[in-house]
Amino acid sequence: MSLQTPRILPSHLHAFHPSGASSNTVRILGTVTALHGATGTLTCGNNGDVTLILKSDARLQVGKLVEVVGKVADLEGGQGYGIRVLGSTEWGDPADCDYKIYEHVVNATHKFKSIFYD
Amino acid sequence: MDGNYNNYNSFGGGGGGGFMPGEASSPAGGKTNDRDNKTLRPVTVKQVLDASQPFPEAPFQIDGADVANVLFMGQVRNISSQSTNVTYKIDDGTGEIEVKKWVDSNTADNMDTDDGKAPGDGKTELVLNGYARVFGSIKSFGNKRYIGAHSVRPLSDINELHTHLLEATAVHLFFTRGPPGAAPAGGNAASGGADAVMGGADDYSSGQSKALASMSLVAKKIYSLLKTEPQDDTGLHMQVIASKLNIPATEVARAGEELLSAGVIFSTMDEQTWAILEY
Repeated sequence: MSLQTPRILPSHLHAFHPSGASSNTVRILGTVTALHGATGTLTCGNNGDVTLILKSDARLQVGKLVEVVGKVADLEGGQGYGIRVLGSTEWGDPADCDYKIYEHVVNATHKFKSIFYD
Repeated sequence: MDGNYNNYNSFGGGGGGGFMPGEASSPAGGKTNDRDNKTLRPVTVKQVLDASQPFPEAPFQIDGADVANVLFMGQVRNISSQSTNVTYKIDDGTGEIEVKKWVDSNTADNMDTDDGKAPGDGKTELVLNGYARVFGSIKSFGNKRYIGAHSVRPLSDINELHTHLLEATAVHLFFTRGPPGAAPAGGNAASGGADAVMGGADDYSSGQSKALASMSLVAKKIYSLLKTEPQDDTGLHMQVIASKLNIPATEVARAGEELLSAGVIFSTMDEQTWAILEY
């Protein structure tokens, strides 16, 4: 069996938290809006922000659209959920992506799960 | 092959060696159907892995429909170049599958074609962990499933990836629930043109909607007019329909025949006056 990485929005993070979900590796799309050394902020359209826990060799750039594959994790100091980045793909200028389509994709993939995820 | 053999038998009695209509396609043997079905279906990797095969060598089926060619998009996780082919491992978030692209030595050094690249070229085009769009057919070797690719190209527009996933959903819903009628939002988003036709008449019963799906555009228009136009028990006359829809009477007559023979409308006062058959 191969690894599946469901596409999500920030509001779905809780469903993939290690304490409850069987799989907690997810895929999320957003714009990098801040970088502070070991963490970064990913802004997901009008759906809020996610804190990214970065690897030391991460090469993210502020202002770029990126798709992140990572594990849902607790943030230090009980600040809610974040994503520990395993890999990221840069997609360039956020203006070239219609985020609404991504929102529909997330909805469709969870509504018609049988063709996307086990 | 079996099918053709039986075919031959059934013609054989009276045939005596003549050229039978049924034989026209027989030289290609069991592959005839395969060749005729040229559809390219948008899918997810999981659908390919879940595809069923009624018996060995049969075409693969997804949602009960034969698939000839599939199209999907995903990230390249591994590239391995051999002398005869390049094997890619593609991950689209729903699963992983191997994709084999045979290297055609004739086109390998032809700069004008952008597929059939030599292994070296393929590598510079497609980068590890970059996205690719793959189009090919499902194959199996032993217990392992892979894609025999016609084309593997880099994908640069993320919207294309997203609309592909919506298209795959729409097509899946088409095969599992029938054509879009009152389809859920996810399915509607990507099915464009077909929806516009059905849009005005999406409240008919499911049995009729199935019959209508295969009909001409004019037939669908007539049906939706009969459905929505105020009328008495006798329905509408063909001429009235023609003028309301601004369609030539001959076309209306032809489409009317379609609807009549499918049993979704019936003639009332005379042959040219129709009403919807409610059941």
